Amino acid sequence: MKIDRFEFPDDLYYDREHGWARVDGDVVTQGITDFGQAIAQEIVYAESPRPGREVEQGQTFMSMESGKWVGRIKAIVSGTIQEVNEELEWEPTLINDSPYEDGWLVKIAMSDPAELDGLMRADSAELKAFIEGEMKKYADVLAE
Amino acid sequence: MKLYRLNSVSWQDSQLLYHALPRLGREGLILLSPATPYVCIGYFQDAEQEVDLEFCREQSIPVFRREVGGGAVYLDGEQLFYQLVIHRRNPLVPEGKEAFYRRFLQAPIAAYRALGIPAEYKPVNDIIAHQRKISGNGVAEIGDTIVLVGNLIVDFDYEMMARVLRVPDEKFRDKVYKTLHENLSTIRREIGEVPPREALWSLLADKFAEVLGPLDVETTVDGEWRAKTDELAARFLTEEWLYQKKRPTADRAVTIRAGLQVRQKVHKAPGGLIRATTEVEDGLIAAVSLSGDFFFYPQEKLAALEAALVGVPEAEAEAAIARFYEEQAIESPGVTPADFARVL
Repeated sequence: MKIDRFEFPDDLYYDREHGWARVDGDVVTQGITDFGQAIAQEIVYAESPRPGREVEQGQTFMSMESGKWVGRIKAIVSGTIQEVNEELEWEPTLINDSPYEDGWLVKIAMSDPAELDGLMRADSAELKAFIEGEMKKYADVLAE
Repeated sequence: MKLYRLNSVSWQDSQLLYHALPRLGREGLILLSPATPYVCIGYFQDAEQEVDLEFCREQSIPVFRREVGGGAVYLDGEQLFYQLVIHRRNPLVPEGKEAFYRRFLQAPIAAYRALGIPAEYKPVNDIIAHQRKISGNGVAEIGDTIVLVGNLIVDFDYEMMARVLRVPDEKFRDKVYKTLHENLSTIRREIGEVPPREALWSLLADKFAEVLGPLDVETTVDGEWRAKTDELAARFLTEEWLYQKKRPTADRAVTIRAGLQVRQKVHKAPGGLIRATTEVEDGLIAAVSLSGDFFFYPQEKLAALEAALVGVPEAEAEAAIARFYEEQAIESPGVTPADFARVL
């Protein structure tokens, strides 16, 4: 699924923080969408949490720096951090170059699968409207 | 919005207060200066790699890790800090990082201009006057707020700044010192006579009010804020927080201002170790010094190679070196132009 020039794979879930979730059984892989990396611009540092840490949906749990700005990333679901993408510590631009594959952030062992119901799907009118609204807000950034 | 005019505070408070306020969900503009000097490193930096900790210990200069990004800086009472804590959904907050800096840096820019200093915004996060940086700024998201920290620089101890950094050798330190001196200015250097401190604080407060709207002035830290600050001190003033390992790197880079960097890279080529200390300005090599334990014939041509690289775009360095090799019939066993290009 494409919204304007941005890719949103059909099998993923999306939140309003420009995160995506790939569900595999009880494990959710979280990342930043193609649109999210575009407005973040070049990511120069990414700091991952320690595996084993409990996170809550919507709570900030990791940091990254881009555009002279330290931003926080919020957990897309609640659960326990199972694995982190250690490559990002060395090559944070993987998030820019490969947002849905090599640039994944963490894997979370989900504690409440019902939370997925509150996320958006690629083919939903809700995601399309949300991204189109964001595109207007970030028009200057996207034009660069 | 509240304006907290706190004037001179302890060095710890000069950092902890702006980390605490957003954790209470409160907004505010804080104006203050540290009573004593310290070194402050960026959130993602490694203290041991960036700072000469032994020197700092000897001189009783504390070191602090902030949650804001950027590089290590030497801070003291000759710098007037502004710390804006604003909710991300405050209607004054524009979308986009550059737009945010551009809007709120209007205040310090207007303050400098009122002093007769032709300050202007340089994207993303610098204020410059006569092409020299005159204010350092950074942003971090803390909780649901955005925190902008920056300074008006009355005077700057260039020597101390260059001294507290951990550098590979004295040549590098000298380069950092000279580049800083050439590219960072102060109110004193720009206008000679500095107005009284109280007048500078008032000027800064007035200019922020033009951007933020009327400000309700407080001059003390209330109980709730004090308690949160003390609570944070228990975490942020520990060695565990300061020495946490961040991304290690063999190369060193000191950003003087946006687009200007002094750096040193090392590369082990088959023919020996190559080290380059390079100054890069807006993508062009401005100066370079090459050293190492490689062989280079004719030896006296190494200085000519350094000179030939000045003004060359970074991306074209390898081609320029290859051309130099051919024209000057250079021989350097086990070291190719590509090896040199790697350290630039």
